[in-house]
Amino acid sequence: MNTECVAMLLAGGQGSRLGSLTFNNAKPAVLFGGKYRIIDFPLSNCMNSDIDVVGVLTQYRPYILNNYIGDGSAWALDQVTGGAHILPPYMGQKGGRWYSGTADAIFQNIDFIDRFDPEYVLILSGDHIYKMDYSKMIAFHKKQEADLSIAVMDVLMEDAHRFGIVNTDDENRITEFQEKPEEPKSNKASMGIYVFTWEVLKKALLEDAGNRESEHDFGLNVIPMLHENNKRIFAFPYSGYWRDVGTIQSYYDANMDLLDSTCDFDLTDRSFRVFSNNMSRHPQYLGPEAKITNSLICDGCIIFGEIEHSIISHDVIIKKNTVLKNAIVHTGAIIEDGAILENCIIGSRARIKGDTRFIASETDLMPIIHVINS
Amino acid sequence: MKNIIGIILNVDGEDTSLRDFLEHRSLSTLPFGGRYRLIDFTLSNMVNSGISSIGVIGSHKYSSLVDHLGTGKEWSLSRKTQDLSILSGTSNNRIGGLIKINLRNLQDNRAYLEHNSGEHVIISTPNLVTSFDFKNAYDIHLNNNSDITMIFKKDDPRYNLLDDDIYLDFNKNRVSGIHYKKSRVTNHFFAEMFIIKKSVLLRLLDLSKITGDWDLMEMIQANVDELRIYGAQHRGYIQRVNSLESYMTSSMDLLEFEIMQELFLGKKTIHTKIKDNHPSLYCDSAHVYNSIVGSGCIIHGTVSHSILFRDTIMHEGSHIQNSIIMQKCEIGKNVSLNYVVMDKDTIIRDNTTLMGRPHSPIVFKKGSVI
Repeated sequence: MNTECVAMLLAGGQGSRLGSLTFNNAKPAVLFGGKYRIIDFPLSNCMNSDIDVVGVLTQYRPYILNNYIGDGSAWALDQVTGGAHILPPYMGQKGGRWYSGTADAIFQNIDFIDRFDPEYVLILSGDHIYKMDYSKMIAFHKKQEADLSIAVMDVLMEDAHRFGIVNTDDENRITEFQEKPEEPKSNKASMGIYVFTWEVLKKALLEDAGNRESEHDFGLNVIPMLHENNKRIFAFPYSGYWRDVGTIQSYYDANMDLLDSTCDFDLTDRSFRVFSNNMSRHPQYLGPEAKITNSLICDGCIIFGEIEHSIISHDVIIKKNTVLKNAIVHTGAIIEDGAILENCIIGSRARIKGDTRFIASETDLMPIIHVINS
Repeated sequence: MKNIIGIILNVDGEDTSLRDFLEHRSLSTLPFGGRYRLIDFTLSNMVNSGISSIGVIGSHKYSSLVDHLGTGKEWSLSRKTQDLSILSGTSNNRIGGLIKINLRNLQDNRAYLEHNSGEHVIISTPNLVTSFDFKNAYDIHLNNNSDITMIFKKDDPRYNLLDDDIYLDFNKNRVSGIHYKKSRVTNHFFAEMFIIKKSVLLRLLDLSKITGDWDLMEMIQANVDELRIYGAQHRGYIQRVNSLESYMTSSMDLLEFEIMQELFLGKKTIHTKIKDNHPSLYCDSAHVYNSIVGSGCIIHGTVSHSILFRDTIMHEGSHIQNSIIMQKCEIGKNVSLNYVVMDKDTIIRDNTTLMGRPHSPIVFKKGSVI
């Protein structure tokens, strides 16, 4: 079997900064934009980039994620020779262990990648919202005869200290890395998307695995090591919408971006669609007193109340005399008659009593009410 | 329910008031309820009742049926243990009208029936809007050792009963006679679903071959004493779509929350072909109430007492009421629609006003531009 490029999607993170949204669900499986889950974005990108072998590395609370990915058919990954492969930690002859870092997770799956005998390996993570054609990045990698290409985007200089910053020469070759620098020398931030030449990566992973000092992390260990060894590392410039949704605030903001008609991230754009594992649900039912403005509503919802600037996932029931504003409501929640909610995230299958008056301020972090599951 | 074969009949050739919607498709794939096709109800009812082998008889306009059903994956019918077959059908027309339940369609698929190990066959028409569990009827069928068990309902003002509809007479629980509407003696009408022993069905097919009469109702009428026929009562909501009026009425019935609840909010899901749509976007100027909306819509205007199918785009200043807008239509700015039914891909230009009447809505064919 020979596949030019295998994608490896790091989906094992806990996402502890998302609080109770990841209480019993892995971060990549957290709902986003109503019907989507965060992992839909990299998987749809793979589909839109004609990548048809994707290994999904899972570890933390994988049930919902595994179930959601299924046979990968939602992203056209149900093909005979490739497809979606869920890769949890496993036992071998010498015992087994958890994935101890991003690089270790790939290291433990060298055999999996070798089965496809690829030229390149694309490393993705499951916590970013963006649309990107990876085939362009792979073409760039080939053209530069690079050992490693890192997707980078320009961020505001005042935000640069929150990112991994790269400095490049005139030909986009990376000359220096700064991890969350106090004094950034550029505003080119790494997006955590890597194309490696597999031969180079495999050698580096074997070397890193033998290094007891290493934390087996791409950003902290493997990439600096390759840089020291004078490997050809290039920055692939990306411009467009990209958000890390690692915190409650960034998660909330990125959701609300979907309601901003001036935002350049468009879910309704059919030329680059975001695919998801769709549920079969009845259409939305809007009762006689329903009023919905500037909102996204999913199938399976029953709405009798008033909704403004909110995102409602499927199977949500919103009863009469309710007012929801700037809210995100996850699947299966029930908002009882009379509840008033502003600036908050309602967890899956939460039941909000009718006498609830919950009005958080816009700048304050919106608490999450009663998350059971998603 | 493993011992059962499900058969969904074709019923084309009905009332001409739906002809604008049936140029490219069969009645079974008429879009319904914001995201469904009519056949989804019967097919889902069979699947939800645990029937694992289903044959759908198509008529001459196959493509929309094949496109809609695909491999049957959405109904869990694409498994090694469960299967969906699309079977060939024949015309139900005869001199002076239609054959209601046409055995010719089953004779043409005799090999399918014979090869299947199921001993009983559940047969239904494809144009019933209902959520029905066949298990209870099947129990009645087995407990009475019936040859045929007919699903019936007590007279229902919602159901658009026609002259050729069949009423059942009972002697205790056993069906003792059947009559057409005009000569009926009871108020129990046949709801176009029945269970029949396969051996009995094959015998009837042999008989039909000799007599040349393929009308099951006539066969039953002639042999009512020899056959053990029982009835199973349907107590829930049921509508049959066979005309523009019944299409409008049953569509608008969904806006009554109790009916919506019965059809869609129970444990049994009505399945349909899945599309990758974004959630529907209600914009700043949207005001949508008392309506059903599919996914993938972008709505700027006012919508009341209407059904918007998936991927409808509606621009600012427009007003839709009492209308059915099928998938992928685009409504321009400042458009006003009342009692309009438009098929897929219709475009209404800016500043158009269209006013139909309750019993005669304005109808647009697929892909119209107005």
